[in-house]
Amino acid sequence: MFEALRVLATCHVMERPVRTLITVLGIALGTSVAIAIRTANVEVLKSFEESVTEVAGRATLQVSGGDLGLDERVIADIRRHPAVLSATPVLHEGARVATGPNQGKSFVVMGLDLLEAGDLKNFRLRDDGAARSLDRLLSREALFVGARLASDWGLEVGHPLELVVGTQVYRVMIQGVVESGGRVSSVWDRVAVMDIAAAQALFGLVGRLDRIDLVTAPGYAVAQIADKLRRTLPPMVTVSRPSQRNEQIERMLNAFQLNLATLSAVGLLVGFFLVYNTVSFAVVQRRREIGILRALGLSRGGVTALFLSEAALMGLVGGVIGSALGVLLARSVVRLMSRTVSDLYLPVAVGPGDFLDMPTGIWLAGGALGLAVAMLGAIAPSVGASRTAAARALAPGEYEASQTLRTGLLAWIGCGGLVLAAALAIPGPVRGLPLFGYASAFCLLLSLSFLAPALVRGTRAVAGVRWGPARMTGRSAALGRLAAEQVARAPGRNAVTIAALMVGIAIMVGVGIMIQSFRHTVDLWINQTIMADHIIAPTSWLQGEQSGMLTNRLPRSWADRVALLPGVEAVDTYRDVTITINGRPVALVSRDLRLHAERSRYLFVEGDSQVLLPRTVSAKGVVVSEVLASALGVRVGDSLPLMTPAGERRFPVMGIFHDYATDGGKVVMDRELYARIWEDDTVTVIPVYTTPGADAGSVRRRIEETLSREGHLVVVGNAELKQEILAIFDRTFTITYALELIAVVVALLGIVNTLLTAVLERQRELATLRAIGASARQIRGLVLWESAYLGLLGSALGLIGGILLSILLVHVINKQSFGWTILFVLPEGLLVEAVGLALAAALVAGYLPARWAAKQPVVDGLRYE
Amino acid sequence: MALRDVTLHVPKGEFCALMGPSGCGKTTLLNLVAGLDVPTSGEVVLAGRSTEHFTDSDWTRLRRDCIGMVFQDFHLIPGLTALENVALPLLLRGEAGDVARTRAAESLDAVGMGQRAQHRPDELSGGEKQRVAIARALVHRPQVILADEPTGNLDSKNGEEIVALLRSLPQQFGQTVMLATHSAAAARHADRVHRMRDGQLE
Repeated sequence: MFEALRVLATCHVMERPVRTLITVLGIALGTSVAIAIRTANVEVLKSFEESVTEVAGRATLQVSGGDLGLDERVIADIRRHPAVLSATPVLHEGARVATGPNQGKSFVVMGLDLLEAGDLKNFRLRDDGAARSLDRLLSREALFVGARLASDWGLEVGHPLELVVGTQVYRVMIQGVVESGGRVSSVWDRVAVMDIAAAQALFGLVGRLDRIDLVTAPGYAVAQIADKLRRTLPPMVTVSRPSQRNEQIERMLNAFQLNLATLSAVGLLVGFFLVYNTVSFAVVQRRREIGILRALGLSRGGVTALFLSEAALMGLVGGVIGSALGVLLARSVVRLMSRTVSDLYLPVAVGPGDFLDMPTGIWLAGGALGLAVAMLGAIAPSVGASRTAAARALAPGEYEASQTLRTGLLAWIGCGGLVLAAALAIPGPVRGLPLFGYASAFCLLLSLSFLAPALVRGTRAVAGVRWGPARMTGRSAALGRLAAEQVARAPGRNAVTIAALMVGIAIMVGVGIMIQSFRHTVDLWINQTIMADHIIAPTSWLQGEQSGMLTNRLPRSWADRVALLPGVEAVDTYRDVTITINGRPVALVSRDLRLHAERSRYLFVEGDSQVLLPRTVSAKGVVVSEVLASALGVRVGDSLPLMTPAGERRFPVMGIFHDYATDGGKVVMDRELYARIWEDDTVTVIPVYTTPGADAGSVRRRIEETLSREGHLVVVGNAELKQEILAIFDRTFTITYALELIAVVVALLGIVNTLLTAVLERQRELATLRAIGASARQIRGLVLWESAYLGLLGSALGLIGGILLSILLVHVINKQSFGWTILFVLPEGLLVEAVGLALAAALVAGYLPARWAAKQPVVDGLRYE
Repeated sequence: MALRDVTLHVPKGEFCALMGPSGCGKTTLLNLVAGLDVPTSGEVVLAGRSTEHFTDSDWTRLRRDCIGMVFQDFHLIPGLTALENVALPLLLRGEAGDVARTRAAESLDAVGMGQRAQHRPDELSGGEKQRVAIARALVHRPQVILADEPTGNLDSKNGEEIVALLRSLPQQFGQTVMLATHSAAAARHADRVHRMRDGQLE
């Protein structure tokens, strides 16, 4: 029995190579998206964890001072704790090569106690004889570069290097190479190391630390030690396990993946439709064979098993190919994600070659996914095949006729589903995730799929009116009529194709509208809130780098000097540090709020910026972004507790504003209040307002001349900054567009598949048409007409689905996962583009089957069996 | 090889029958005449014209204008009404819809199916379907009607009527009819009967 199935299944799969290939390719594409996203996610997270673990070494706790750093004297207090075995001071600064062939490349310089850290951190200095010389090790300019950095950038021991750290240029001497203690690829290969005392002296940070890594005694509970330390240490200092940073990154990646996850589900859904279609055809085409096999003694289960095993074969092959494609695709996803992660947190040790030697796990996962999709898609038609009575299967006739009965029922289920989808859009998020929103989107697409058969049958009525006998004129009209008839006659098969196309287009349109609405909103926001004519910023600021105390910091005195320049009317002092509220990173922004009220604005959800900002200053309060407000459940009038160097303090919340700059949230207070409480007189950037009528170019030149002697910085014009923000926005969504395209391609494979089978199934009919006078061109035209009908119905349904989906994405899913308010806009251009693309693609997809149909020998088609 | 040394001359206006058991080459012969199949050697001469250098579109034009075909299992297009089925050859030729409709209705009347014009094939009996198929074969006034086992799927009474209908065509319109059949009863109506066996004329 098993042998018989194997022989039959293999024979059929091989018998129709083109169709098998299309189905396998469809499954492969669907799987690849899912695999790519999963792989990328796992890889980035894994590399990040490894990086964190390696940098932490044996450390079980980290004491960190955030953007403002730590006073090194706390190390003495920490060492006094009986459970602390060792406490290693760490400096951690982002550096950029200032001159030479590597100019502009960046890496992290870590200041460590080189005499003891090697053992704790699992790295060593390459032994070239002199490495053990204390002078060389501890000299103020001695830099030890990672092995990978040295080889990739051609850095040599004994050569000098100029680095920009913060705004200043520092000259260092490469004195050696750092190697990892064992692993092939390690974060130590990509950083540079200095002795902690040398680094403090060089960077002018004597007495300051970024972090202290602790190793605690094994007998003690780490959480208890952390609690005790927290009580004795200054309030702003955080004590956490290294693994807690992993959670932070995980949360960030989750948010990043919102769109990606939706898309990977779509790829699989479309793959599912494709399999359903293929197996349905196989059943229709071979109903006579089913009859014979049943007559020969094959059981019902056997028939089901036969079709399922064919689908399984295709699913497995497709899944495995999909894994390979997915891993390739993952490369670009990883590059994108790791860049974000590296910029924000740590250099992540992912090189292009590092993860391509994928473990067998990926192949297994891909195969299993393909198999699952194929089985799910095949189950209904396979069971249907087994129900066909042997005698009926042997008799010639129309098989599809029996399927048309359920159209009405499906349509009712579809309508019910739409109501359910609407209901699911109402509940709020579950633990910060819009689970009901996702369910609603899924339900929406599924319901529309259920409506497809009714739509297909409807075309007969529509076509009857439009092309009916009274109006039947000309050759193409006859073909159009015939084509509509064809589409309507096989609602089962065509509905599935239309549903697949609908899902592809709905996602394309839905996500497209969401992104465009989002972009429109951001654009509006930028234009209404970014009013400064120039921004003076450290070079690292535009790259979005945040690492160490020196990056993103300018002396306050620069602002005062710029204010005196002719053509400058006002300067703001903008400071942006990251603090932690309830374990989530939040931007604490301070600036001259009275000046900001006069010259610029925050877009408040309720109330006027010009009124609210001065009121905030006098009340010594804060305003918070809507993202943070909804995450913390804070409302206007509440008081917000913040941890300050002087302990916890509560600030009245004076307003809530729209903000699209960060996804973590923002707290804004007046400059004076911040400077006093946080004892921080530096600024992050200096927004400059020029005198009306002053020439922007010459003001900018004056600023650059005045400050260029002081250090490295950039002056960004208003328009450039706006452009840069939009460019970053567009970059974020590039990958979304790419993945969307895959869903559409899979849907198109569905059209090719459907038409090829429609042609196969109707060979006799097409031959009859040829016999009564149709030319080869007319046959081609007929099939293309059918393709156009499928494209038209699919895109009509897809447009409806897409618009509804975009409403869900904008008002439910995005709102609940990020808290952003997005203004909904309907970009007509996009809709026209989508429909045009779908129709053009449908015709392209129809071309191959059409040509094939026209070439079939007429005699074969007319032959009786 | 399906046909060997077959030389056959059919004069205009004749009702001739090709008779023989299944597999003897009757269908192949008809397909050659319609240009649906191409002979490996030898030629088909129609109305004095050699078809040796005919292209696919020449044959298409020939079928549109000069040939009507009737098949054993009717080959009506399932979704279309009887009227639409009959109008189809005219529409494929590019005739205007109302002209096609009028002539299709006339053609249906001629085979006695005027009352059933708006029915779809699955609502018609076998005999009715074959009448519609004959109406379709006649609608463009071809000079030649090729009927391949038209009674094969019909009971004897219906079969008898269909053959009588075909028989009447040369008398009414002067058409040439070639009827392939293995039924002696059907062949009895023919002006001339050609017997075939194993791809050869007897």
